[in-house]
Amino acid sequence: MDTGSKMTKYDERAPERVQQRVTVTPRVDVYENANELLLVADIPGATKESVSIQLDKGQLTIEASRREDKIGSPLVAEYRAIDYARVFAIPQGIDGSKIDAQLSGGVLRLRLPKSEALKPRRIEVRAN
Amino acid sequence: MLRQLGEFDRSFSMLDELRRRMDRMWQDWDTDGYSTELSSADAWPRVNVFDAGAQIVVQADVPGVNEKDLQIAMNQGVLSIAGERKAEAPEGYVVHRRERAAMRFSRAFNLPVPVEVDKTSATMKDGVLTITLPKSPEAQPRKIDVSSR
Repeated sequence: MDTGSKMTKYDERAPERVQQRVTVTPRVDVYENANELLLVADIPGATKESVSIQLDKGQLTIEASRREDKIGSPLVAEYRAIDYARVFAIPQGIDGSKIDAQLSGGVLRLRLPKSEALKPRRIEVRAN
Repeated sequence: MLRQLGEFDRSFSMLDELRRRMDRMWQDWDTDGYSTELSSADAWPRVNVFDAGAQIVVQADVPGVNEKDLQIAMNQGVLSIAGERKAEAPEGYVVHRRERAAMRFSRAFNLPVPVEVDKTSATMKDGVLTITLPKSPEAQPRKIDVSSR
């Protein structure tokens, strides 16, 4: 988007913030095999409780947040309390009830199993 | 004639560059300097350093890094964090998108006060490395009582 339209559309695009928090787009890897989609996202500092994953009308929304650690006076500050958010368009045929999410070491792993209709099928050829 | 056109073109590419820089400036301003876009230009890992009175606390975002792939060293008042994040492409999967690069990283920090290296501890939680460095006794904050006569 160029600067001109960015400035004119500023009001619609950025409603006033209630909190002094910044939303960050986490880095994501997406893999696929015959049975599932695998989504891997870096969300360092986010706790398991803060992660929310929603699948609605083909949109997968991942949200998480990290708290600010108040340890003392900061000498170097390169990150702070932030929200992570990212939305993906998910192909039809993903079984929403079987999505599995796992968080370990700041990395979120989402397994989105395909429904039976979407899995590749081998068709036997009959001879008569 | 062709040469002139080339120069004409070049001056526009300069304008493009200017606009890119302006865009970036606006964005930094929007987000209070916090880069929300995916960019590899940032130092990795991101680090916070706190002065917590009796100790210096260093925190670094190292998602997906194994404890054993991290090397933390203290040498002449310089703390260095180095390590490696290994690629973890699962077997038998097609890659659609890859933003989480495998990499080697290293950063070094000049600590403002002498610390006790032997009592230094490091822990990992939720992809955040926390290094706690107790200050040397002579650098500890001290309370001085005022006596009245």
